[in-house]
Amino acid sequence: MSLAGRLISAGFTDLEKSTRFLEAPELAGIDAELLFAALGHAASPDLALQSYVRLLAVEPAVADLFTREPERATALFRLLGASEALGEFLMRHPGHLDAVRRPARVEPAVPPEQLRASLLAAVDADPAVENPVAGKTGTGAHQCLRAAYRRHLTELAVRDLSHPSPIDYLPTAARELADLAAAALEASLAVARADLAESYSADDIAAVRLAVIGMGKCGARELNYISDVDVIYVIDAPTLDEALASRIGTALATGISRGVYSPGPEPALWEVDANLRPEGRDGPLVRTLESHLTYYSRWASTWEFQALLKARAVAGDPELGRRYEEAVAPLVWTSSEREGFVESVRAMRRRVTENIPRHEGPKQLKLGSGGLRDVEFTVQLLQLVHGRADESLRVRDTVTAIAALSAAGYIGRTDAADLDNAYRYLRLLEHRIQLTQLRRTHLMPDGDAARHALARSTEGAMVSVRPTARSMVEKWQRTRRLVERLHETIFYRPLLNTAANLSLEDAKLTPEAAQARLAALGYSDPKGAMRHIEALTGGIRRRAVLQRQLLPILLAWFADGVDPDAGLLGFRRLSESLGESHWYLGMLRDSKAAAERLCNVLSSSRFITDLLEVSPESTKWLGSDPELVPDTFESQWQEIRSKMSRHPQPQDAMRLIRLIRRRELLRIAIADSAGLLTQAAVGNALADADRAAVLGALHVAENSIHASEPRITDVVVIAMGRQGGREITYGSDADVLYVHRPLPGADPAAAQRQAEKVVSQLAANLTQPSKPPVRAERVLEIDAALRPEGRQGPLVRSLDSFREYYKRWSLIWEAQALLRARPMAGSDALTADFLKLIDPIRYPSSLSDTDEREIRRIKARMEAERLPRGADPSRHLKLGRGALSDIEWLIQLLQLRHAARVPELRTASTLEAMDAVEAAGLLPAPEVETLRRSWLLTSRLRAANIIWSGRSSDLLPSSRRDLEAVARWCGYGPGKGAELEEDYLRLTRRSRAIFERNFYGT
Amino acid sequence: MNRQQEFVLRTIEERDVRFVRLWFTDVVGSLKSVALAPAEVEGAFEEGLGFDGSSIEGLARVFESDMLAQPDPSTFQILPWRGDKEQTSRMFCDILTPDGQPSAADPRSVLKRTLAKAADMGFTCYTHPEIEFYLLKSADLGADGRPVPVDQAGYFDHVPGGVAQDFRRTAVAMLESVGISVEFSHHEGGPGQNEIDLRYADALQTADNIMTFRTVIKEVALTQDSYATFMPKPFSDHPGSGMHTHFSLFEGDSNAFFEAGAEFQLSKTARQFIAGILRHAPEFTAVTNQFVNSYKRLWGGGEAPSYISWGHNNRSALVRIPLYKPNKGQSARIEYRGIDSAANPYLAYAVLLGAGLKGIEEGYELPLGAEDDVWSLTAAERRAMGHDPLPASLHDAVRAMEDSELVAEILGEQVFENFLRNKRAEWHDYRIEVTPYELRRNLGIL
Repeated sequence: MSLAGRLISAGFTDLEKSTRFLEAPELAGIDAELLFAALGHAASPDLALQSYVRLLAVEPAVADLFTREPERATALFRLLGASEALGEFLMRHPGHLDAVRRPARVEPAVPPEQLRASLLAAVDADPAVENPVAGKTGTGAHQCLRAAYRRHLTELAVRDLSHPSPIDYLPTAARELADLAAAALEASLAVARADLAESYSADDIAAVRLAVIGMGKCGARELNYISDVDVIYVIDAPTLDEALASRIGTALATGISRGVYSPGPEPALWEVDANLRPEGRDGPLVRTLESHLTYYSRWASTWEFQALLKARAVAGDPELGRRYEEAVAPLVWTSSEREGFVESVRAMRRRVTENIPRHEGPKQLKLGSGGLRDVEFTVQLLQLVHGRADESLRVRDTVTAIAALSAAGYIGRTDAADLDNAYRYLRLLEHRIQLTQLRRTHLMPDGDAARHALARSTEGAMVSVRPTARSMVEKWQRTRRLVERLHETIFYRPLLNTAANLSLEDAKLTPEAAQARLAALGYSDPKGAMRHIEALTGGIRRRAVLQRQLLPILLAWFADGVDPDAGLLGFRRLSESLGESHWYLGMLRDSKAAAERLCNVLSSSRFITDLLEVSPESTKWLGSDPELVPDTFESQWQEIRSKMSRHPQPQDAMRLIRLIRRRELLRIAIADSAGLLTQAAVGNALADADRAAVLGALHVAENSIHASEPRITDVVVIAMGRQGGREITYGSDADVLYVHRPLPGADPAAAQRQAEKVVSQLAANLTQPSKPPVRAERVLEIDAALRPEGRQGPLVRSLDSFREYYKRWSLIWEAQALLRARPMAGSDALTADFLKLIDPIRYPSSLSDTDEREIRRIKARMEAERLPRGADPSRHLKLGRGALSDIEWLIQLLQLRHAARVPELRTASTLEAMDAVEAAGLLPAPEVETLRRSWLLTSRLRAANIIWSGRSSDLLPSSRRDLEAVARWCGYGPGKGAELEEDYLRLTRRSRAIFERNFYGT
Repeated sequence: MNRQQEFVLRTIEERDVRFVRLWFTDVVGSLKSVALAPAEVEGAFEEGLGFDGSSIEGLARVFESDMLAQPDPSTFQILPWRGDKEQTSRMFCDILTPDGQPSAADPRSVLKRTLAKAADMGFTCYTHPEIEFYLLKSADLGADGRPVPVDQAGYFDHVPGGVAQDFRRTAVAMLESVGISVEFSHHEGGPGQNEIDLRYADALQTADNIMTFRTVIKEVALTQDSYATFMPKPFSDHPGSGMHTHFSLFEGDSNAFFEAGAEFQLSKTARQFIAGILRHAPEFTAVTNQFVNSYKRLWGGGEAPSYISWGHNNRSALVRIPLYKPNKGQSARIEYRGIDSAANPYLAYAVLLGAGLKGIEEGYELPLGAEDDVWSLTAAERRAMGHDPLPASLHDAVRAMEDSELVAEILGEQVFENFLRNKRAEWHDYRIEVTPYELRRNLGIL
């Protein structure tokens, strides 16, 4: 076999460089077979070879290791291939090569006392006494301490790397790493005491008792190979003056940090981080126990208690440390009763997935969805919620906590096993990545070579099939997804077992525990929620069985909404009315997107929930985007015609028409909530639904009237206002004009009477209660107030009468209103003639100064009079400062001025008119953009108001909860209500300025 | 912070404090106060104190009137003028909405927000105000319809046995006893006019100090049977009362305005900061000079800066670069001479800082400095040299502010709107007033 082939089969990746190293003179005389056999054990043979060659240079004695002690050689190559940093340590201190030993069959854990004794001995301190003082001082002592630490680290790494199943060894290794760190802190403290003798009397130093409380992973005895060691310092010096005690205590604490972290020939170990102390960076470095307790009992925030869960006395005065542990434990376990616990937990959960630098996202082992933090967060939250009542959960480290949670039934046994496995695997990856350079990182390395080495080093020593980089990445991704899934359901699954009173699964909560958990997750009425869950999951019917499977994740989705309780209640009602419909169960089971949509809608929209409740079969649409495309006007009209032909009774036909409109409103709202429609499309679709209903109502009215008297006139309905512009929102009125034209030869007076009969019947058809009632209907109110002479004028006029009227009286506000006239229902010929009549009026060839002034005057008077009493003008969405009315009046003024010349301006739609205004250069493009954004946001807010609360309101909400809900509907993330408020006020202020300049000319 | 809350509770106990006044400020800078019994303080720290904000100018919308006042323990102070028995103390408050969010309408939170922005850019901001005021015989007008000052002395005059001398001594002692360090105090240019300079402190603390200062000065005057006023211009023919303020920015512990060897030792940051202030000065003048009367000071001569300019130790400039000892880089600073003593210090400092930071952010170029006395130039010369005037009246200032995106952003939309509404109303009230001037000039001849 060629050398290259041999290198490849041994697992080398950088062939050129390794070939060069193989030719190194240091290797002369070493049996190549034995060398290759040993290299085969290294995770990265390239690295092992390089390090070995460099080691030979300083310690030629390792050359005959292969023949003398083959098993030690294997161990050495495992170490060199997995850790460049520890290889370099051995080169610096070849004397410590004896730390690389033949691994024992069963690895005993090294007891913490032994580590403490060894590190204290390294600085000439007496391990037998309680607060030892080192014999060595200064940087010299630091060097000894660090070398001894690294020697133990080397021993541990050899054992870890040689273990047949590193994933099983992980908790042991993590424990020993924490103990080793604790020993280093203890030894460093001994040195600090000795160093301090220069500035203080020995008695004073001895009088200050100092305990080092380990926090985080060190406190929990689950430390990484390298990470910051979080600590808190407690002092006690009853015999000394307070200030002096605090000075000495601070000097000792700083000394500890210097001992392990100051730069020196033997590099620093890790940073000692004391920022978890009360008041963080700003607080004093050391405090007395009493001062700690005062702080925690009065001022600490929720996350600080979560941190205290891990607190453990690791070094310094053991008695003081024990008193600290005993004193803070009760605080930790009552923290879930604190006010704001739920909010802070939810915020913390959001932070887990946020704040990751974008480019790191996919490589993160620790942060991000499915990372280590996810597991730790889940476990700690469950501990805090249930640990108050159940002392068996009061443990520090994650692995033990998972076992305890499972044993006591707070999480299912399978879930627990999965979670435990995932956690250990992710930790193992992290350990191996850190071990390479002894660098603090939580990122999956780039590049195939590094990943390949990582894959090899995470598998046990006895594994015969070596994993590839690819299989490792796949396994990692699988684990991540598993954690993500577990994180979603683990809180909720046992709730169901409680509710459904099942004995199938092991995990089951007491009713109190279940309610505590629901409250912690954001349900404000946990008792009610529990009742709903019981109702949904009780029994043995197929639906209950399926819902038991699904609810854990559904409950999590509700909890993400604005109103989780309403979401759950809505779901229960829906589920009860849908019963066993197989498509419903199938949809929930098979379509995750549909189920998530449903939960989102139910917990954030009263409007949709109400409609779904009366037409539960529409839930089906959630699973099918094609069903969520609004029906066109034509297809609705076709449906209505066929209904009318089959139901000759006007009331029956009318009821069916109104049901169609209700159905379409719901469809549009759901499509809107799923983000399938643009805002313009929503307005158009709603207007189409209204148009179909009005056309139907007109036909029904005419049919019933002409059944008893001959038709002597044609009636048409013209849409006006926002209805004309097809820019309405859910529950808008229909502004209309009625026009009729007597048939040739008909008596004008009789024709007028018949037309009046038709239009009043039409309005009644749409608004009168039907039998059986159309439940949850948003009745379409018809408003004809924009007709000539307003409310004083006749409801309907003949075309001739319109002509006559416009010739004599026409007022400019009527011309303005006609800008938005659009055919809605009735004879095409008559409609066309009407449009021909009004076009010269609404698109005048010139606008007189008097008319312009009149428009301004009317607008100004409206501003003064129309706003409801007490309403804040800056928050009124329709008539407020810079809101809809301002923008529309400005655009309409421009239309009146220029539409005769610019045909594109002849549109009833504000949005289209704005485009035309911009294209024709009538306003600068940035100004049009501001107007457009204001108009869109304001329209969106009006829709959001009714969608969220089920009631229409023209005010920007002021309660935080309502603001939050409408902000989400407008596309803002959770907790961004205040941002929406500020954005709205800013946008409308700007559009008001544009309006004032261009409309009033100020 | 929390040790401070602890300290407050302990002090209340130890010093036998009977009342704790919670102080906050409305949108025009009037001090508002509500008294608490000591037993209620702990609760106020934890949950805030509920009150009806609708009656406070510019604080709440009518329909959302429930607000919370949350005391800031770092501002706790025993009030000395209440005597040793039944001690009274005060703390400044932040105003929160019922759900515990900072109220967008609270002037103190406006300044905090601006300072947080400065902190994001890496700066801490220090200010040092020179506050002028008049000491009058009483709040009543004299027989000639004008206020009556306590003396007739002038700038730096020593008035033997004068009321003002006594007054300043007592006032300074009392200020020191509430923890406000006084740098300097002297008689100013007008009769009965005094100036007291506060030591520099961070901008929020200075603003709190100014609010306290005004109260202390008024209280001390009352004990001496006189009356102190911070009205910008109480006399037509004497100088108005300004509140020149020195600003400096620090990055860590080094002064960001200082650059050894640069012109006037001014760093690029300082030049951009000044440029920001000058460019936006017309937009924020309604805030720094917020009353109808403020413009009588700005345009009434007597060393008030009416034109936009800057200069090295030029007392006619709007922004002055004070002389300081060349090796004292830490004391590099700039002085804004436009503010008057009646400004709301929270809002005034927020807009000045905000404008300066904008200059830094956008890298504004600083125009040429003014070397001459800007007042003695002709109008044409000033125009040629780019020294534009500040707004001539409250009305002009409000119009300029209405168009300012920057001021809206600094104040937040709600304070912006409330402030403008208040000032438009003031201008409206003033406009319908028939003044003594008109009667004097016109009544006899028309």
